Amino acid sequence: MSERFRIALAGNPNSGKTTTFNALTGARQHVGNYAGVTVEKREGVYEREGREYDVVDLPGTYSLTSYSPEERIAQNELLNGKFDVVVVVVDSTALKRSLVFMAQLMQLNIKIVLSLNMSDEAEKIGQRINLQLFRDLLGFPVVETASHKRVGVDDLKAAIDQAVAAPVLNSRLVLGERMDAALDGIGESLAKTALPPVHRRWIATKLLLQDPTFVEKLASEGTEGRAAIESADRWRSKLEAEYGTDVALFTMERYYGFVDGLLREVTIRHAREDARALSDKVDSILVNRLMGVPFFLGVMYIVFWLTFSVGEIPMGWIEGGFGLLGDWLNTLWPAGSDSALRSLLVDGVIGGVGGVVVFVPNIVLLFLCLSLLEDTGYMARGAFLVDRLMHRFGLHGRSFIPMMTGFGCSIPGIMATRTLENDRDRLTTMLVLPLMSCGARLPIWMLLIPAFFAAKWRAPVLWLIYMTGIILALVLARFLRSSILKGDQTPFVMELPPYRLPTARAVVTKMAERSWIYLRKAGTVILAISIIMWVLTSYPKPQEATVDKAIAGGTVQLVKIDVPSDATDALKEKKFAAAMELARKSASSSVELISVVEAEKRRSAEALHYSFAGRLGRAIEPAIRPLGFDWKIGTALLGSFAAKEVFVSQMGIIYSLGEADEDSQDLRTLLGKTYSPLVGFSLMLFLLIATPCMATVAITRRESGSWKWAMLQMGGLTFVAYLISLAFFQIGQLVT
Amino acid sequence: MADSSPESIVDQKEPELTSALEDYLETIYELVRDRKLARIKDIAKARGVKAGSVSPAMRRLSELGLINYVQREYIDLTPDGERHARRVLAKHQMLTRFFVEILGMPSDLAERDACSMEHSLSPVGMDHLVRFFEFLKCCPGGDKFLERYHRCSLTATEAAHCDMGCPALADQLAPEEEAMSLMNMKPGESARVTQINGAGAIRQRLLDMGLLPDVLIEVQRVAPAGDPIWIKLQGFQLSLRKSEAAAVLVEASK
Repeated sequence: MSERFRIALAGNPNSGKTTTFNALTGARQHVGNYAGVTVEKREGVYEREGREYDVVDLPGTYSLTSYSPEERIAQNELLNGKFDVVVVVVDSTALKRSLVFMAQLMQLNIKIVLSLNMSDEAEKIGQRINLQLFRDLLGFPVVETASHKRVGVDDLKAAIDQAVAAPVLNSRLVLGERMDAALDGIGESLAKTALPPVHRRWIATKLLLQDPTFVEKLASEGTEGRAAIESADRWRSKLEAEYGTDVALFTMERYYGFVDGLLREVTIRHAREDARALSDKVDSILVNRLMGVPFFLGVMYIVFWLTFSVGEIPMGWIEGGFGLLGDWLNTLWPAGSDSALRSLLVDGVIGGVGGVVVFVPNIVLLFLCLSLLEDTGYMARGAFLVDRLMHRFGLHGRSFIPMMTGFGCSIPGIMATRTLENDRDRLTTMLVLPLMSCGARLPIWMLLIPAFFAAKWRAPVLWLIYMTGIILALVLARFLRSSILKGDQTPFVMELPPYRLPTARAVVTKMAERSWIYLRKAGTVILAISIIMWVLTSYPKPQEATVDKAIAGGTVQLVKIDVPSDATDALKEKKFAAAMELARKSASSSVELISVVEAEKRRSAEALHYSFAGRLGRAIEPAIRPLGFDWKIGTALLGSFAAKEVFVSQMGIIYSLGEADEDSQDLRTLLGKTYSPLVGFSLMLFLLIATPCMATVAITRRESGSWKWAMLQMGGLTFVAYLISLAFFQIGQLVT
Repeated sequence: MADSSPESIVDQKEPELTSALEDYLETIYELVRDRKLARIKDIAKARGVKAGSVSPAMRRLSELGLINYVQREYIDLTPDGERHARRVLAKHQMLTRFFVEILGMPSDLAERDACSMEHSLSPVGMDHLVRFFEFLKCCPGGDKFLERYHRCSLTATEAAHCDMGCPALADQLAPEEEAMSLMNMKPGESARVTQINGAGAIRQRLLDMGLLPDVLIEVQRVAPAGDPIWIKLQGFQLSLRKSEAAAVLVEASK
């Protein structure tokens, strides 16, 4: 017989709760999002002696109030999740504060196991706890664990079984006579309502504290419900008058009182006074007034360099690998074949998937660095140093690193917003992050800037573009925070844990997890859109290309040359020049002579013109003309939605230059001749501000938990891009 | 003249009049008292309204049997009307006296407040008010108490002469000492938390993190711009913004 139990993991952030979760469930876990919020949902399974245990890792919270989505979700899960046991994971080096959380849970009438995590550290600093006494006093199992080292995990599983088997106990929580009297009194009123008795104590506490979620709930329970609310109000006034403090403080003091009493009994030896001496010393060097910020910037630079410079190398391998794959696939069809399947596979799928996979080295390296920063505790120091600046603009100290990362690529940047504890901060950062001019835009700048600006202006213009992105990000963040993402100020109060040496396993696990999420989520969406883009740019095909008609009609003649495939360009040039001369002699003067390559280019240009993408480009032309753009730019912009680099190659195709990249001198010159610098800069502004690529949208969807925010990001940024380009171009025209 | 004994004021059998009508009644009573008869335009002038607004009210009062109203002639009160008016007036005067003699309010303000409160104060409320009033006037300790109250509130400097050990006194004597908060502390300084102000999520977070009264905290450092602040308490360390620190009131640790 296979029994199944439900276990919840609860605890403060940074208590090692998730590490414990990983230790319990290993690979058998699934990470998603709670609907509509950026809060992650983790569920997994483990097996013991033939029984199955479903484990849910609840969001880390300091308290069970209703102030943040994390708390509301944790509370809701605990009340309605039908758990058999809740494992409270606490940081043993901060027992006093952590146990207050446990005290709150003890009011929930649910079976508990206390996991004193990071016990190895606690031991190192001299703390000793009488576990047996602890168990006796609390009435439920207490185990010591060090989950990042996989220590105590078996004990934990055994304790869970013990708790499951035990009958539900009377909570040993002691909050003092007055508090108990109040809760009993309110409880009596609650007994008259239709609510189930199991959570009565908890609801009584919440009513006493005027928690809006519960007040609302009771208000809808008819007269009995309202009577209960009134009872709570009366008790609250009584307690506040008796004690001279508000009930929130009073309650916390009761919890702390209980915890103090408990700790006095069970602590055999306290942690050394100088336990943090070394860590403090390091802080005094790394975080001092002079050195703090420069050191932090230095660390950021290293992270950057590691991720994007060192990452270049494996990126090159992957690009090469996909190139080979594409070539090999090509050989499966006869040369010159027009097969749609081939095109789909090579251009669409390989192109798309390759575009995703190529980023994996970046992601892996970046998350390696971020995990290290987080696990050592330095991330908190960084946030401390830059919070003032960030906060001015509605962001958070912890927004700094994700935004810096965005200069390399938005995708890992958005994923890195995970470190922001608060929903609103996280969303704001996510939404404006793409404005940090990312690496994919660099080829565009390299193409457009020299095309339109003289040498001495190029560096300043590039700097200007980056600055515009940053300033706009800050302004939009401020705007968002005072409009749609307005709300109660979210607390910055942040713990600064002592420096720790992270285990390789913990760091690698985190890194692997993030990378896998990227591949799975971003990958699938990107693949889908790549295929759609491929369809849009390939179909419909013109019946017969103009150039082919001309060849058939004799107005154009193909000049072919016969060279081995490994011939050098120089050799090809020579042969072609000779062949041209020869052909010129025999052909009439009215016939145009072109190479095979030239014919191909013309065919491509025409095909693009004829395709959906081309038509769409022409269709939107009236809308983008006020920005100074024409249909060619329009089509390229549509293509660039897939990935920014695509803009350059699309422009190349449209201008019949075939395969072009940012070094293409021809394209640069052509652009410079076709458009004015005003248009050029207007275009750059648009490309800077509008959504970088669909991968960004995909990852925003994943990290924010809903399409709403991803769409807002895309729509919002595109809209702002339109406005700013428009304003710039129109004003520019008036001025020049 | 006005009968101010408690019993005549508290009478639950009166018809329910709106405040406006009661005010009219009061005005009519006063006009009759002073000039024997009241005319529409006198009433209008006394109340500061147009003559046209007065007529419907007069009709209503007449319906209720409280006045004798014959159009275009003088108005006077019926015996019922007179009784009712006296009661209203008594309430009004009681309130005015309470505000002036007990609370020490300036009389014009007292008059205005009494005017509006006389209608909304319930009979029971009025009863209690009167009882309190009487108590302060009669009880031997009561008038001393009243005297002290007047001295304390009316002349702040007089409080220095008060021998009751008034806590407000401490503030009076040392006005420079503002409640100090964590926000004002500098690196290296220690203090004991006295109070946690603020509200909502931020306050809860402060409490959750162990910032409670009587806790000892030490400021480790501040960020380059002076914000956020890094503190040490009870074996662990926190950082918080200046705006959050402002809610943590402290006193220098002894």
